[in-house]
Amino acid sequence: MYSIETKNLTKKYKDKIAVNHMNLQIKEGELFALLGVNGAGKTTTIKMLSGLILPTEGSITIENMNMKKDTLKIKEILNVSPQETAIAPNLSVKENLEFMAGVYQIKNKDNKIKELIKLFKLEEVLNKKAKTLSGGWQRKVSIAISLINDPKILFLDEPTLGLDVIARKELWKIISSLKGKITIILTTHYMEEAESLSDRIGIMANGNLIDIGTSKELIKKTKTKSFEDAFIQIATGGEL
Amino acid sequence: MRMLNFAKRNFKELVRDPLSLIFEIALPIFLLFIFQQIKVPGEEYMLENFTPGIILFGFSFITLFTSTLIAKDRGSSLLIRLGTSPMKSSDYILGYILSLIPIILIQDILFFIVALLMGLSFSINIIYTILISLVISILFISFGILIGSLVSEKASGGVGSIIVQLVSFTSGMYFSKDLVGKGFATICEILPFESALNIIRGVLNNSEILTRNIIVFGVYTIIVVILSIIVFKRKMVSDNK
Repeated sequence: MYSIETKNLTKKYKDKIAVNHMNLQIKEGELFALLGVNGAGKTTTIKMLSGLILPTEGSITIENMNMKKDTLKIKEILNVSPQETAIAPNLSVKENLEFMAGVYQIKNKDNKIKELIKLFKLEEVLNKKAKTLSGGWQRKVSIAISLINDPKILFLDEPTLGLDVIARKELWKIISSLKGKITIILTTHYMEEAESLSDRIGIMANGNLIDIGTSKELIKKTKTKSFEDAFIQIATGGEL
Repeated sequence: MRMLNFAKRNFKELVRDPLSLIFEIALPIFLLFIFQQIKVPGEEYMLENFTPGIILFGFSFITLFTSTLIAKDRGSSLLIRLGTSPMKSSDYILGYILSLIPIILIQDILFFIVALLMGLSFSINIIYTILISLVISILFISFGILIGSLVSEKASGGVGSIIVQLVSFTSGMYFSKDLVGKGFATICEILPFESALNIIRGVLNNSEILTRNIIVFGVYTIIVVILSIIVFKRKMVSDNK
């Protein structure tokens, strides 16, 4: 069974095609990285898969449910960590976790919050207002919040963007620990991140999903030495 | 309930902004106090007429800070996150409205405590006025939702302050509309703020409320509530494109 399946998924804005007839299958527990240059259509794809915007054409099936018919049921089992930090600025870290637990009506919320505090080592910032935290802490809290409902599917849109190397490695460790338990769709501009974290990688350009495979498969296919070179060759059609 | 959970968060965001408390509560109380101390002549400045004006003035800041909160939420990724959650549009709108009810009650109670200390006679009409002011506040909250849905966080302060100015100049809280001229009086009658003030004054003083005031206020409230819901829902979608 596929966790996510799209058929001819398309999003058009007036004359521009942001996502063009995308056919994608992602297995349960898989960590799938979506790569592409700016404007390739990664974020639009995530927004459609998470039910935030409607596709112009095509269908999305999530855990055997149709996105059009079962939107609210699907929204119960997924979560998103958006590109920018998504937290309530005047609430403390603990209050942010409690607020989002309320949004998802979590029954054993105290236990879940304790678990996330431990996993993300949030003890030292727990009572601090979110707006007073550094960018790295805010990102950590934002990702912690996205696990509040024990999602079956998690979308991480550029989760380590702007983080220093230590904070990035810390987040990689946490993301790695989730592998196999949750289906994760990750977008990133860091080749190393995609290569070391993901099971498979999809490369997008101009709204099209132009190639898909493991990092090794893509390197082999393009006859390049590194994954970065493989990505450049695929994304530019060998023009660079 | 998701709606109450969202209202609780909004309430905390609003009361933790010191500027919001200064303008929504401290400034109106200061004006109520200072105008009574100066003993400005004129019917408008008698406590039974000026206190309703101060209530309305406080509501205009509710519009301003509601619009800022919503514009800020739209500008951050928080609404994107909530958009992927099982929250419905009604949870958002009612969550914003409900979060303001305690602030409005605190405003009303404090304004009346100060007015009573300054010589306003206590009557059961004060309780009725607080209740009717909750109805009146729906118009101001809806204006806040509408403005916050339409403009950016930076612009929301400026646009929201237009409502503050309109309340000050066209409600009749400081001076009678007839003092300025016929054209200005007509504008005051067309806009909803004079009608809102006359309704509050009418309830507090047990005096006649014109049918025109009820119709003008009612029509504006219905239109602004419906518009704010439509615009907010549309912007929730278009912001995410």
